[in-house]
This record gives sequence, C-alpha cells and structure tokens, in this order.
Amino acid sequence: MMRAWCTGLCLLLSLPAAVADSRAELTLRLDGRSAASRGPLAQAQALLPGVAAATPSGRVLQAELRHTQHLGGGVALQGNLLLAHEGLQGQPAADRSRVNEAHLAWDLGPWQLAAGRKVLGWDVGYGFRPNDVVQQETRRTQLGQTPEGRPLLQLEHFDADTTWALVLVHPERWQRSAERQRGAREAALAARGYTRLGGLDLHGFARHGRHTGASVGAALSWVAGDELELHASARAVQHHDGWALAAGDPLAARNPWQQATRRGGSQWLLGGQWTGGPSLSLLLEAWHDGSALSDTDWRQWQDRNQVLAAVAADPARRGAAAGNLAWQATPFDADNLRRDNVYARLAWQPTDWTLAIDTLFSPADRGRIVSLSLQWKGPQLRLDGSLRLYGGPADAVFAQLPLRRSLVLAASIAF
Amino acid sequence: MNRITALLALLLPLACAHADDSVGTLLKAADRYRSGADALQVETQVLTLGRDGAVDKERRYTVFTQSQRRSLVLMRSAAEAGQKVLMLGDDFWLLLPGSQRPVRITPSQKLLGDASTGDIATMNWADDYTGTVAAPAPCPAPDDSRSCRQLSLQATRKGVSYARLELWVGQPRGEPVAAALYLQSDKLAKHARFVLDKAGTQVDEMLLHDALGGQRQTRVRYLSRTPRAVPEAWLNPMFLARNPALE
Repeated sequence: MMRAWCTGLCLLLSLPAAVADSRAELTLRLDGRSAASRGPLAQAQALLPGVAAATPSGRVLQAELRHTQHLGGGVALQGNLLLAHEGLQGQPAADRSRVNEAHLAWDLGPWQLAAGRKVLGWDVGYGFRPNDVVQQETRRTQLGQTPEGRPLLQLEHFDADTTWALVLVHPERWQRSAERQRGAREAALAARGYTRLGGLDLHGFARHGRHTGASVGAALSWVAGDELELHASARAVQHHDGWALAAGDPLAARNPWQQATRRGGSQWLLGGQWTGGPSLSLLLEAWHDGSALSDTDWRQWQDRNQVLAAVAADPARRGAAAGNLAWQATPFDADNLRRDNVYARLAWQPTDWTLAIDTLFSPADRGRIVSLSLQWKGPQLRLDGSLRLYGGPADAVFAQLPLRRSLVLAASIAF
Repeated sequence: MNRITALLALLLPLACAHADDSVGTLLKAADRYRSGADALQVETQVLTLGRDGAVDKERRYTVFTQSQRRSLVLMRSAAEAGQKVLMLGDDFWLLLPGSQRPVRITPSQKLLGDASTGDIATMNWADDYTGTVAAPAPCPAPDDSRSCRQLSLQATRKGVSYARLELWVGQPRGEPVAAALYLQSDKLAKHARFVLDKAGTQVDEMLLHDALGGQRQTRVRYLSRTPRAVPEAWLNPMFLARNPALE
C-alpha cells in the first residue's frame, strides 16, 4: 500500500514544476524515556518482567513531504507523505511511514470541493478541542507533528464573512458494524457554520455519527483587548465511544477493558491568552470532557489495582495478576484521562528563541504533567528540546502513567 | 475684549480644521510613496542585520494590501513557508501550514519579530493617524541637510502597530524621510528611515532600528509593487485555513 502511495507521489513530482508547489522537512528526533515506578504497568513489570514494559528510549528519522499539483480548471492534487523510520532500544527498527493527506480539491470560486484523505480541524482552543468533530488530533504533544488525515468528501461555501461546510467522513465505513468503526474511525456526517462579527469569531457545529448519533456544538473566539484573547467551546452528545470495564472476576482471562458506546455527556472548554508585550504570553484553559472516565470509574480502577496487587501475593496466580495489571493501562489510551482539567502555558519568545513551561493539572486527584521546552528557529534549521515530568500524589492517575519522565530532542531542516 | 474673545472663538476651530487638513494632506502624500494604489501585491524582502552590519537572516513575504484596511501576508521563506497573517481592520489571524484552523491573535502578538507583520503589511498612515504638524526644520540626521515637516501623530484606532508616530516628511514633495515609532505604553520601539528609488517616486527600502534594547537593524526592501485586487474569499480566515494556492 505504502509503495503504491510513494509511486503516485513520485509521478506527481515528475509533472511540470511550473504548476506545482513542493516542500519538505527532514527531522531527527531522539527520545529519552524513564519508566515510572508506580502504577499498574510498573507493578505488572515488577511481578513478571517483560509482560508490560514501558516504551523504551529511541530515535526517529523522518521526512515530511508536501506537494500540491495544479491540474488546471481549478483542480489540484494535494499530498502530505510522512516517511519515518523508528528505532527503539532492544527492539527491531520499524517503519512508521504514512500518508497524512492525499486529496483532490476543486476550486469553483465561492464553492470548494474536496475528496480524499485530508486533515481537518475546526475548533478553537489549544489543550482540548471538543468540536473537532471530524478529526481529534493528539493535543499537548512534546513535538508538533502533522496528524494523519481522514478519508472524506467535503463541500464548502465561502464569502467575505461566512463559511458553510458539509463533510462526510469515513464514507467507506458507513455500513460496517459499530465494533469496526470506534472512535475516530466512525463514519459520520458533519456540518459547520462560521461567521465573523468584528472581533468575534462564531462557529456552530452539528454531527451525526453512524452509531453515536447526533451531537451539536458551538465555539467562539474573541479578541477582548490589545493583549487579551478569550475562547470557548461546548458540545453536547447523544452517545460517545469510551472505555468500559466488564464486570466479573478480577482475574479476567481476556482484557476486561473494551470500547463501548456510552450514553450522553457534554464537553466544554474555556480559555484565554494574554500577550504581555511582544515577547511574553500566558495561556490558561479549563475544560470538562464528559466522554472521559468518571471519578467513579477511576475509583473502581484504583480498587481493581489493589485487588490485583493482593492477588499477586499468591505465587500461583502471580502471572495472571501481572497480565491483568498490564491490562489496567488500557484506559490510558484516551484524549483526556480525567474529566476536569486545567492547563497553563507561559511562553517567552525573544527573536529566534521560544522558552515555554506548561502544566496540565487534574483537580480531582491533584495529578500533574509539567513540560519545559526550548526552541530555536533559524532560516532553515529548527532545534527543539522538551522535558516532560509526570507526577502528583501516589493515587493520582497521571502519577500512575507508564512514564515518569520524557525527554525529546529534535533537529529539523526545511527545504 | 469680548469682541476679541468672540473672534478667537470663531477662528480657533477654523485654524484647527486647517491643521487637520494639512496633516491629512501630508499623510496622503507620504502614503503615495509607500503604496500608490488601493489594492496592491507587494513582494517584500526583510533582512535582519547583525551588530557588524552583516546579514543575519533573510525572509521573503508576499503582501496583498486591499481597501478598508485589509491585508494578507504570505510567508515565503523555507522556515516560515505556508504561514499567513490576515489583517482585517483591527482583527488579526495567524494561519500555520500544518493546522487547519486560523488562530486569532491580539494586536500585541502582531508586533512579534524584528520587522513585525504590522511593519510589513501597513502601507497607509492617512486612514489610521491624526495629529499636528510643526514648522519646517532640518530633517533628522543623516538627512539633516534637507528641510522636513515633523508630524506628531496619534493612532485613531486600536489595532495599529504603533500608538504614536513622529514622522518627518521632506520639503516640498512630502516624501517620508524618517519616523520614530512608539508602542501603546509610549515606549519608543523603533526608528525608521525611508530610502527612495532612483527616480524618487516611491519608497524602495525602510530601515528599522530597534530602540528597545536589542539595537538590531532590519532592512525592509520592497522588491515589486503590482496593482491587484484579490477575491473576497481570500480575506476569509476559514478559506485560508484550507491552505489554498494563492497565486
């Protein structure tokens, strides 16, 4: 499949350059990771080494290639290909290449059509974007990366102050069962309206997911003064996909955490950015994600961890307990772990440098993730360094994640 | 005495109105040396100079300046390729190539960089400033052999990059010669000097000297100016977020 995409891209690149626009970025990334000594994965690893090792340190060499080919008549082919080679300590090297975008765009003046794989983000905000209803990209990463687009059909209309958009995402999955289109893989029809009222951007959203049903949302962004921007976003959902723990014996024979369609819920975000002169900025955001596990769910998770740790005292059941503890890391695979979160980011940007410190705080259990990052940006070269620390009280979810510390160093060169 | 007071009361508004007209006329004359048309495509090169005067950094921009204080800046250099800044009156958006969403930015954020987006995209003073004009006097050094009019200008709206300007225009044509640019806090941010082309008909270069401590110099060169009105949709931030081809 990847070979076919590469062949297609090479054919595009061989077309006349006068009607094309190409860019590339080459990045070498080094990851230093320290496993946590707390949490279910650490406990499982202590009981049965190798059963659930945290992701080891490693390196990634990648090239991101962007190309737009104008075919005449307002039609253009746009592609974004990621060629990535990852090597993790103690593991064979792996190919992480993928096609981020490959779509056909047709410019009909105020009407715009697109078909193919495309990155699409609609919501305002930084730490969480509940109204990115076509595609939820991973937020608050240590190093920015173009997300992988979704297959879609898109119709948009633009004038000076308003925009209307209708998108059918994952149309090829429409007839498949719910189990085969969970989360971001769900087929859906989504619509957005946008209008500008001076300093205020207003957005309205509607989505119908194949098995999660209807959801509606709204968002705004407002420049409230020379130094202050405020934004908000809210969404109400009929159903959502999320993790559910199957009832039964604590020592399960298969992973008791499975994706399921859960009822209702709301998501919202409030935020603001203050810019203190040309070099300093402070971003503050608070959000609620009703699709994340509830406090009750996490208490049950914590109780199960304790039961499994007690069971592990029995040598005969130690292996099974270790496996079940490893499965307890399953619900970590979510956009938000706790429902209520507070995020702050302070950045200082004198000329070519950006120094930033940010923290994600969970008021429910006082867990926190703190990151310190430094970036230097030259005419072509960019250097990034980021250190992230996971912590909080022993029973905080963030303190029980597989990693205690993560260091990222990267050098990128643009062509 | 009462007659004199009454006469003064009648004449003072007329005198003030005349002063306003003079400032407006002088600013419009100065603007003609910088833009020359309502709708323009301007290819711009920005060179940041080190303390030794050597070029430290080069950036390229395409700037579309349109009527009603609307501008679109396309970043052309490899490090910034695909980035755009849209300015609609007092409203500003930043668009990044890897993202499908425009980000609202504040007027303060617009000031980031050696030559801020506002420096590059603003080609018009007459619509944004008003003030007073002083009697003819020597221009600031190194142009002090020539005669200038000094305009003390205050911004008439909040979204402009500089709240206050001291602008010197040459006598008798009214071409811009030099400026002192002040922030909202009334701190002096930059000194500007304007260099005309050989024909003396338009500004070829703007030399910016950072007065806030960096002591850096930036040379903004206008490589070409072409009259061009862009489609209305290009001035919609959501349209630009699609990363369309803008040629």
